[in-house]
Amino acid sequence: MNNLPAACKQTFYLFCMLPLLISCNSGTSTVGNPHSSTDTVEIRNMKFTPDSLVVKKGDKIVFVNRDMVVHCVTAIEGDTWTSGALPTGALFTLIAGKSSVYYCAIHKVMKGVIIVQ
Amino acid sequence: MSKLKNAVLGCFSAASAFFLAVPSVNAQNPPKLSDPEIAHVAVVANKIDIGYAEIALQKSKNAEVVNFAKTMSSDHQAVINQAVALVTKLKVTPLDNGVSKKMMADAEKTKAMLHSKSGKAFDKAYIDNEVAYHKAVIAAVETVLIPQAQNAELKELLQKVDPTLKAHLQHAEMVQSNLK
Repeated sequence: MNNLPAACKQTFYLFCMLPLLISCNSGTSTVGNPHSSTDTVEIRNMKFTPDSLVVKKGDKIVFVNRDMVVHCVTAIEGDTWTSGALPTGALFTLIAGKSSVYYCAIHKVMKGVIIVQ
Repeated sequence: MSKLKNAVLGCFSAASAFFLAVPSVNAQNPPKLSDPEIAHVAVVANKIDIGYAEIALQKSKNAEVVNFAKTMSSDHQAVINQAVALVTKLKVTPLDNGVSKKMMADAEKTKAMLHSKSGKAFDKAYIDNEVAYHKAVIAAVETVLIPQAQNAELKELLQKVDPTLKAHLQHAEMVQSNLK
């Protein structure tokens, strides 16, 4: 992957990002299924709670950082999506497109999974 | 065998900062601390790890070690900020004490040891110390600071910090394993 030209990398990341429409630091999104439901994952005590979530395609997943330290939510495989830094109280909304295993790239022992049915 | 010996000595050294901070004090007979003293110990413990991280950021070329050190610096500063906000709200002045003084003295020795190393030897020494230090701090928080804290908000802050320290320990052990 590191040997690919920049244009190829951008295309690859764009392709990977398309299924996951992401809205950061916002509780709402203008894109997605109007009949979708919303699930919340709390980041508390250095854990994602729940750390396993089963959703339908188009559902919203809101991550909220309740810890005193900065966290992030990042796809493990290829880092194809990330929330960026989430300070205390910050929200990150993900619209589920495909199943993902994710982690906090700052605290790499913190992991979770989203299963899209 | 010498690796094992060093690991045991390292762990003992870090743990001794808390449990042998005052002569005749040990894990079975922990020091008695007031809330202002507990607040001081908590801030000092975080400052010490920020100090270790600063050395790592100056000396290490290993990306995993550097990232870990950045996280330690950021997280422990966040804990200090919370502690300072709490003591300000409670109008409590953290009080220096024998445990804090011993921790600072031991930290100076550890810093000197870290400064004397370079390259992979430094990375190993830094991460080994982080594992030992976090084990000692977790033990102290759980067996001394939380049980002895009288103020409910101080106790709650220490309880919130505990999982952060445990995640740091797991992270340090992961980096330690990758360095082997």
